Amino acid sequence: MPKTFLIDTTRCTACRGCQLACKEWHDLPANETKQRGSHQNPPDLNPNNLKIVRFHEYLDTKGDVVWNFFPDQCRHCLIPVCKDVADMAVPGAMIRDPKTGAVLTTEKTAELAPEDARAVIDACPYNIPRLDPKTKRLTKCDMCIDRVSVGMQPICVKTCPTGTMVFGEREEVLPVALKRLEKIKTRFPKAFLADMRDVSVIYLLADDKEHYYEYAAFL
Amino acid sequence: MTNHWIDIKNSDAVLIIGSNAAEHHPVAFKWIMQAKDNGATLMHVDPKFSRTSARCDFHVPLRSGTDIPFLGGMLNYILENELYFKDYVANYTNAAFVVGKDYDFKDGLFSGYDPATRKYDKSKWAMETGPDGGPVIDPTLQNERCVINLMRRHYSRYTLTNVSDVTGISEENLLKVYEIFCATGKPDKAGTILYALGWTQHTVGVQNIRTSALIQLLLGNIGVAGGGINALRGEPNVQGSTDHALLYHILPGYNAMPSAPWQTLAQYRKANTPATTLKNSVNWWSNRPKYVVSLLKGWFGDEATQENDFCYELLPKIEPGEDYSYMYVMDKMYHGKIRGGFIFGVNPMNSFSNTNKMRAALDKLDWLVCSELHNSETTDNWKRPGVDPKTKKTEVFLLPSAHRIEKEGTISNSGRWLQWFDQAVQPAGEARNFADIYVPLFNTIRALYKAEGGAFPEPILKMHWTDKFVADEWVRRINGFFWADSKVGGKTYKRGQLVPTFGALKDDGSTSSLNWIYTGSYTEEEGNKSKRRNSSQTPMQAAIGLYPNWSWCWPVNRRILYNRASVDLNGKPFNPKKAVIAWENGKWAGDVPDGPWPPMADRENGKLPFIMMKDGHGNFYGPGPADGPFPEHYEPAETPLARHPFSSQISSPVYKYHTSDMDQIAAPADPRYPYVLTTYSLTEHWCGGGETRNVPNLLETEPQLYVEMSHQLAGEKGITNGDGVIVESPRGRVEAIAMVTVRIRPFTIMGKTVHLVGMPFAYGWTTPKCGDSTNRLTVGAYDPNTTIPESKACCVNLYKADKLTEIG
Amino acid sequence: MKSTRRSFLKGVSAGIVCLTLGQLGFDLGDAHAYAGKLKIEGAKEVISVCPFCSVCCQIIAYVRDGRLVATEGDPDFPVNEGALCAKGAALFTMYTSRHRLEKPLYRAPFSNHWVEKDWEWTLNEIARRVKDARDQDMILKNAKGQTVNRLESIFAMGTSHASNEECAVIHQAMRGLGVVHMDHQARV
Repeated sequence: MPKTFLIDTTRCTACRGCQLACKEWHDLPANETKQRGSHQNPPDLNPNNLKIVRFHEYLDTKGDVVWNFFPDQCRHCLIPVCKDVADMAVPGAMIRDPKTGAVLTTEKTAELAPEDARAVIDACPYNIPRLDPKTKRLTKCDMCIDRVSVGMQPICVKTCPTGTMVFGEREEVLPVALKRLEKIKTRFPKAFLADMRDVSVIYLLADDKEHYYEYAAFL
Repeated sequence: MTNHWIDIKNSDAVLIIGSNAAEHHPVAFKWIMQAKDNGATLMHVDPKFSRTSARCDFHVPLRSGTDIPFLGGMLNYILENELYFKDYVANYTNAAFVVGKDYDFKDGLFSGYDPATRKYDKSKWAMETGPDGGPVIDPTLQNERCVINLMRRHYSRYTLTNVSDVTGISEENLLKVYEIFCATGKPDKAGTILYALGWTQHTVGVQNIRTSALIQLLLGNIGVAGGGINALRGEPNVQGSTDHALLYHILPGYNAMPSAPWQTLAQYRKANTPATTLKNSVNWWSNRPKYVVSLLKGWFGDEATQENDFCYELLPKIEPGEDYSYMYVMDKMYHGKIRGGFIFGVNPMNSFSNTNKMRAALDKLDWLVCSELHNSETTDNWKRPGVDPKTKKTEVFLLPSAHRIEKEGTISNSGRWLQWFDQAVQPAGEARNFADIYVPLFNTIRALYKAEGGAFPEPILKMHWTDKFVADEWVRRINGFFWADSKVGGKTYKRGQLVPTFGALKDDGSTSSLNWIYTGSYTEEEGNKSKRRNSSQTPMQAAIGLYPNWSWCWPVNRRILYNRASVDLNGKPFNPKKAVIAWENGKWAGDVPDGPWPPMADRENGKLPFIMMKDGHGNFYGPGPADGPFPEHYEPAETPLARHPFSSQISSPVYKYHTSDMDQIAAPADPRYPYVLTTYSLTEHWCGGGETRNVPNLLETEPQLYVEMSHQLAGEKGITNGDGVIVESPRGRVEAIAMVTVRIRPFTIMGKTVHLVGMPFAYGWTTPKCGDSTNRLTVGAYDPNTTIPESKACCVNLYKADKLTEIG
Repeated sequence: MKSTRRSFLKGVSAGIVCLTLGQLGFDLGDAHAYAGKLKIEGAKEVISVCPFCSVCCQIIAYVRDGRLVATEGDPDFPVNEGALCAKGAALFTMYTSRHRLEKPLYRAPFSNHWVEKDWEWTLNEIARRVKDARDQDMILKNAKGQTVNRLESIFAMGTSHASNEECAVIHQAMRGLGVVHMDHQARV
């Protein structure tokens, strides 16, 4: 039974503890960034940021401010298309750990021809993998497989202050997700669990996906 | 905080005002969200829609500097609709006390005002006293000068129309907050107010907080679980550093600084030891002499004797009325009256208001000693942009300091928990903790005095000091020792043993303590309690998350202050489901009560709950503050308004300011500076950013200075998101990147549109290309009680930049 | 010291539970990047407190051979229960990035650069300046002839970054010198 994350965006304060904790645990260096009129920085996932919090703001039909936060990361799909595409070019470039469900990019991704690497990236319904120009490898969230393997929580989950992130066995997390959805629907009737049947990282969204991020949900 | 972090979850209504808790105390939101899970309504009242607002049930935008009208309107709403908790108000507050005949209030001024000195004669505000010198109390509330009647009259002017006009909040939104929060006036409901620098950094900072005290006392929200007035204190150990009084005006443990008129200890004691005529008032400060003598004993050891006033004479005495705070030091420095000094772990050249003056002032020093983790705008002031170092005379000694995990000791969190931290690694390079700098420095100075003599060497030579700093030894010194064999409750203690509780401190020289509120934190019986990691609690304690056995908290491990106000006269909790204390079978259960005495129904031995107040009652009317016994609205020192509806007194008649050539303050409604600027920190940086800008991973998330503004203002000024912008005030000019956002909206104030912009103050020139101090814009106008600068509101202009030099 | 939620980590420290990816059933070569030990394996746990806001989240510093390996929230501490914000989560690189001052520095009057100095020289020089200022400027009596024993020409600012014990040391030292211009972050 794979591991599953619930990311309940209705609890997220965008403190970015997860974004920083991920970077620190993985010993990833800082990018040089600029202020471009947004708090979202770095602006996108990149080889040094396997998880970023996306910010989206707008005025709703009543004229109230809505500010949505979306801690974006690999969904560790139950059937990962990226892996299938990668396998066709370089077998073993990506693996899915049957025990945890973690979808991992390996060092063999460096052997992917540029167009194959591009195909892997394009295959992802959530726009997650990024090509590291230095190592030529594909990079993305690894579910903190080192930690999860020894029974620890992924560092982002552990660091989250508000209970936005829940991690555990799929059969334990799904009921929590459904219960949270039921409760939140009283205030946010549009709320839904994004692609729940297909992914190991289930987002609880209170609003249309466009009001989070283009790739927040697939269906 | 009267309460503590975990206790927020017990609240039925959480009013976050003057705080952006989600961004500045992010982990506090763990408990704020739990309150929401438990059914509480979360409300955010703040100029800007922030990450806090995003998680609240709703956000109400208010123009910066109008918290008192907002809260005054709530007071009016409570009093007019009689929503207050009547038994609580009747039994535990000074609502029925009669105010003296000299009190008056006319057109924004209280009685006793002297325009020449900009000061009040506070004796005009005294309470009426009876033949015994005690308060006159009219429980029937018929006397028109009863506090509650004066209060009702004062706040009757805070009508919805007036409040809405000046705050920019719609009447509908005002009523929404008032209704929800005031519903906690019921005995079994609790509302908490969470505030931070958004309240303190105003010329009416103290009165902002006092207004909240009036509300919470009326609603019976002080002393109860999920209630309180909770200052989300900013700095890492600002609770502890305030307790230990790195402040000119107090000695450790909230004792007054000796002042010139108090030449002897007897005179000091007389002036600072209150007496009450009410037999059921504890009047805790009647114990003050024990704490001050124990402090002197701690400082001077065997040199301190009854005969020499425990060396009281050796302490410096300040001049009454003279201000020795930051802003006054900097002004004296600017005028060349200071030779040198120490700036440790703080960055005034970035985080103090009117920074251009601060920077010029620092140039006037002969010598400066800094101790820091990194170079900062302060340490490197002599080579700041636009300055030729060859023209700057100041000698600078820059000492590398150790960071938290490179040292051991204790800090006190905002909930007053004393937390021990171990040393994990050796300090970087030759870095040292602050004590390992001051201890050898003091010893070197001492050796010089021993060898050479000099001016008034006595205090230096007589001090009970140390050769080497050991944190554990100072935790013990703070707790305090017996200096003579003593008996406490039948138990004998030898000289040199630790004092078990502050109840055992004496004013005869037989005990020492460097801070009485911490006495009991380290005992012979239980060791260093700041190290306790025991999460056990009784079911009653667990129901409110008290954790009494985890670490220790001052005073005497009392987790919720004034908890005697959480029970009725018989000691029965107002809210049995969230009881803090309860009188059961002749003793108290739950938290450590405010004293062991029985509840007030015992007319002989029962005690009033507000034990730190002379007369034991919570004070609606406070003759103490410099700016009035009731909070009153005044505009910020710089305001876009030429008038306001409450009086013709536009700004506070008593706010402090300086008059140098670099202390410009714009006149009300100055057309050259039409926009309100408010300033703040942000999650990813720490205050002035001196540490976090040097952490590349954090700088990556928030790399450069920005100015947040509405789409409407940006449209008027031809600015688009991401443009470079120049922001100007009468004091300076700052470059920033425009962040055009729906989260800031124009206010309608007295029928006119007022724009507000917001900027973080986390950026400084020592971090390349990130921008420079926002505080070059902020105003040198200060609260008359605390001298905190009004960093939260000033007036600016702004326009699109042709080119940027500070930001790259 | 009681440990509950962290009990499993004790096993890690003892090197018992650390599985390699090989044991997880896929090829170790393929997963080379993820193989090897958990970076905190065998590291000593030291309890500290985050140096930023007054929530004072407790943290665990993992230390091996005197070097910091990682930092995480302390899951047993009832206030933060292991959680941290962005700043708290970045403590590790705060200590390991090379921006720190590591030696006493001296900038002479009108100089345009720093010079490295040793502690002894530095403290002696500061002590001399303090004593000279104090000897010249100590005010024993005020205009009214009252004994005031104060020194106004020297100031001390800071700091709330200091521990309680450091604060106690600073306050005592400053009052001993007669300093009245003393302040810190509580007032800004």
